[in-house]
Amino acid sequence: MSNENEQNQNTTAPAPAAKKKKAATRKAAARPAAKKAAVKRKATARKKAVAAKSSRRSDAQSKRNAVKEASVVIVGAGFAGLGMAIRLRQAGVDDFVLLERADKVGGTWRDNTYPGAACDIPSHLYSYSFAPNPHWSRHFSGSAEILGYIEHLVKQYGLRDKIHFQQDVTDARFDETKGQWRVDTRQGDVWQGRAVVMAQGPLSNASFPDIEGLTDFKGKRIHSARWDHDYDFSGKRVAVIGTGASAVQIIPELAKTAGTLKVFQRTPAWVIPRPDYATPDWNKALFEKLPLTRKAMRQALYWTHETMALAVIWNSPLTRLAERLSLTHLRSQVKDDWMRRQLTPDFRIGCKRVLLSNDYYPALQRDNVDLITWPIARIAENGVRTCDGIEHQFDCIVFATGFDVPKSGTPFPIRGLNGRELGEEWSGGARAYKSVSVAGYPNLFFTFGPNSGPGHNSALVYMEAQLDYAVEGIRRILDHDLKILDVRESVQQRHNRHLQKRLARTNWNSGCKSWYLTEDGYNATMYPGFASQYRRQMSRFVDQHYRRVPQTGSA
Amino acid sequence: MANIDLDKMLAKVKSSQWALADIDWDAPGADLITEEQWPKLKAFMADLMWIEHVGARGFAAMAKKAPDDTLKQIYTYFHAEEQRHANAEMALMKRWGMLDGDELPEPNKNLKLVIQWLDKYSDDMPLEVLGSVIPMLEIALDGALCTFLLDTVDDPVCHQAFARINDDESRHLGVGFHVLEMQGRGDLYIKALKTVATVLDPRLILGIASYVPLLNRMRDNVVAMGLSEEKLYACMKKFERIGGRTAQGRRNPWYQIISRHGRMVVNRDNRAYHAPVDLMVRLTDYIPERLMPSRVPTWVKGISYRPTA
Ligand SMILES: Cc1cc2nc3c(=O)[nH]c(=O)nc-3n(C[C@H](O)[C@H](O)[C@H](O)COP(=O)(O)OP(=O)(O)OC[C@H]3O[C@@H](n4cnc5c(N)ncnc54)[C@H](O)[C@@H]3O)c2cc1C
Ligand SMILES: [Fe+2]
Ligand SMILES: [Fe+2]
Repeated sequence: MSNENEQNQNTTAPAPAAKKKKAATRKAAARPAAKKAAVKRKATARKKAVAAKSSRRSDAQSKRNAVKEASVVIVGAGFAGLGMAIRLRQAGVDDFVLLERADKVGGTWRDNTYPGAACDIPSHLYSYSFAPNPHWSRHFSGSAEILGYIEHLVKQYGLRDKIHFQQDVTDARFDETKGQWRVDTRQGDVWQGRAVVMAQGPLSNASFPDIEGLTDFKGKRIHSARWDHDYDFSGKRVAVIGTGASAVQIIPELAKTAGTLKVFQRTPAWVIPRPDYATPDWNKALFEKLPLTRKAMRQALYWTHETMALAVIWNSPLTRLAERLSLTHLRSQVKDDWMRRQLTPDFRIGCKRVLLSNDYYPALQRDNVDLITWPIARIAENGVRTCDGIEHQFDCIVFATGFDVPKSGTPFPIRGLNGRELGEEWSGGARAYKSVSVAGYPNLFFTFGPNSGPGHNSALVYMEAQLDYAVEGIRRILDHDLKILDVRESVQQRHNRHLQKRLARTNWNSGCKSWYLTEDGYNATMYPGFASQYRRQMSRFVDQHYRRVPQTGSA
Repeated sequence: MANIDLDKMLAKVKSSQWALADIDWDAPGADLITEEQWPKLKAFMADLMWIEHVGARGFAAMAKKAPDDTLKQIYTYFHAEEQRHANAEMALMKRWGMLDGDELPEPNKNLKLVIQWLDKYSDDMPLEVLGSVIPMLEIALDGALCTFLLDTVDDPVCHQAFARINDDESRHLGVGFHVLEMQGRGDLYIKALKTVATVLDPRLILGIASYVPLLNRMRDNVVAMGLSEEKLYACMKKFERIGGRTAQGRRNPWYQIISRHGRMVVNRDNRAYHAPVDLMVRLTDYIPERLMPSRVPTWVKGISYRPTA
């Protein structure tokens, strides 16, 4: 489902100029440590700035453009980047920076603020075990509450000064003579680090579908991950394109306010009931006073989700059971048999993301809502033309069409040893070792890297394992003063052969089209196993699997 | 070889979409329908519109059965395109003042039976059956009838609409015959077994019982409009000719059954076939309304003559 994406820009609008300036001065004041390096490299930086954007050069800018150094450069300040920062600090590494292209932390939960936005893994599991929160208000918390938790992490661990906003990373290259990564940003700044952590998020670039005439539409266009809270939907004729995870959350909410709502579906997904509830105060108090009860809750949730792997990842009797549960849900909620047919998936459950909702099906049956399953022919000035020849006219089109997921490339050019470029190497599908390291790209650590995706459990469970693994690697680089820590090619190959063999037997590779797979059906996204297996694999950092070159020795 | 590249076909289908809004339904020329033509044309158009709609439902069933994703997508598009034909034909009826207000014209009783059958059983039919019945219906009823229509009606808007419809149909037939051939390639023995098994399936017999009179009924309609019966038959023979062009296509047992049936429809002298079938047609006219399927499936309600919604 790789979307040819003309609009692949940041998910947040650029901040007003005044705000930008303020942020810049604040940042400059907050980084006396980086100043020395800055002065030293001022000359080169200026040269660079001239080349990059001569027209916009000013004194303030050239000052900002000096090369700044840190032991670890973290790209992105979402869950992953901030989690990395916390774990590094806890491991005694304090010389790191986070580069964030937006002007706020939070990533997914900063960008996805559409009505109804919430997690669909229980909050007690969709949070860091090393930073527990006894106060979650619901089983599945809303977007704002999750963002609040992330902002709280920044405060609690004093990370604010480490974060550099409006630093949109555009390039990373490894200098093997120095054992240093050089990271460039769109703003013209240059950062250097002995290690780089990629925490730019798997779902951070909103994607519009490849539909003809997308820009011809004269009405309002809104992407689910860039919600416009100033737009008043009441009484409006509204379209929602897409019926994935975001759409099933948006539709019930919009149906309440919009005048009419038409939902355009390409493929129906499996939908199961969503056991949501508000957590009573006594329960929150209990979690706070007796942390053991909260831990027990997390454990229970964790193991419930682990069993779901049996239904979702592999084709087992539990798969049939899950399908039956979903079909029963459909039958009990949708009366009309043609609509049921339209909503019945024709692929195995688990092949794509399973959706959780109690109010999606009922919303589709409201008087002001229509489900449209005709393929879309094009978008025209006044609306959407479907292949049955009808033009559906709208005031606003909501695109719940997901994200541009780089399965066969990188979000920006990454150059490793001997000038090799990772995007080129990954053009046939991304490959890594344990989803974190890539041979030929030393001292580089991925979060949410190739084959790290969970189908059944919290992304943060996987993330914690990756963060701790990265800490192991970074500690080796810093403590042993390594110039190069590079996973061995043969080790990586063996790892991938094994992975792909196991993936072939999973539901993801059972024939449906999904964003998990490349156009050629190569699965570079998902981890074929239990979260427990993944964690076990990540808990060991095997030194023999890596090639080391010490800083003092010759490369 | 009539083999086509399905991926290219899908791309072609995607790039050949049109909408009701592309046609000016109020352009001059509506008065070219003669008073004498009007009532017969009304009955004819109503049937034609319903047949498109029924064909659409057939493609919906085929999309579920398609052996690969490309074919599935193609059928999904064809499903919508047949619906578009029905919509456009309804728009013509609207233009000619043939609609009772905004009401959908009633389907005739044979059609009601076919609709009922499609709704209940088509999703359970193997692709082999639908893959043969649909091209047959398309040629005989859809493609052929449209040509007749253009022979008798002078309204330029009608010609505009059917130029587009026929363009779509040529792709439907291309894919239809390609699939017939694809299926012919399989192991004959298994095919034969499967065929026998489905023939014995009572659901299919029901389907045949409603499809067979439909063909004869349409023949009657055509004749009533003063069109030559021979032309319709010539079209059904086209199915035999094109579908049977390659050995693979001929080997498809369904092709065999259906073309043999087509031959029977065409051969007026075959009294053994026509007497009972014509009787069935007349009988369906006498089925009391209360015994006809009462529940109208939702998919039937989706037709619209309005270019915008
Ligand atoms: C609507 C939605 C609901 C979800 N619900 C769940 C759920 O219930 N359970 C679950 O496990 N997972 C869920 N996910 C997946 C979710 O993305 C992850 O759980 C997690 O939030 C990812 O965190 P991250 O830090 O890796 O990425 P992000 O949160 O995307 O953060 C990445 C950050 O990097 C920044 N960035 C990106 N590129 C650059 C660059 N070039 N330079 C500088 N900065 C950059 C971005 O601005 C962003 O702030 C959901 C995702 C979405 C979109
Ligand atoms: Fe047609
Ligand atoms: Fe057709």
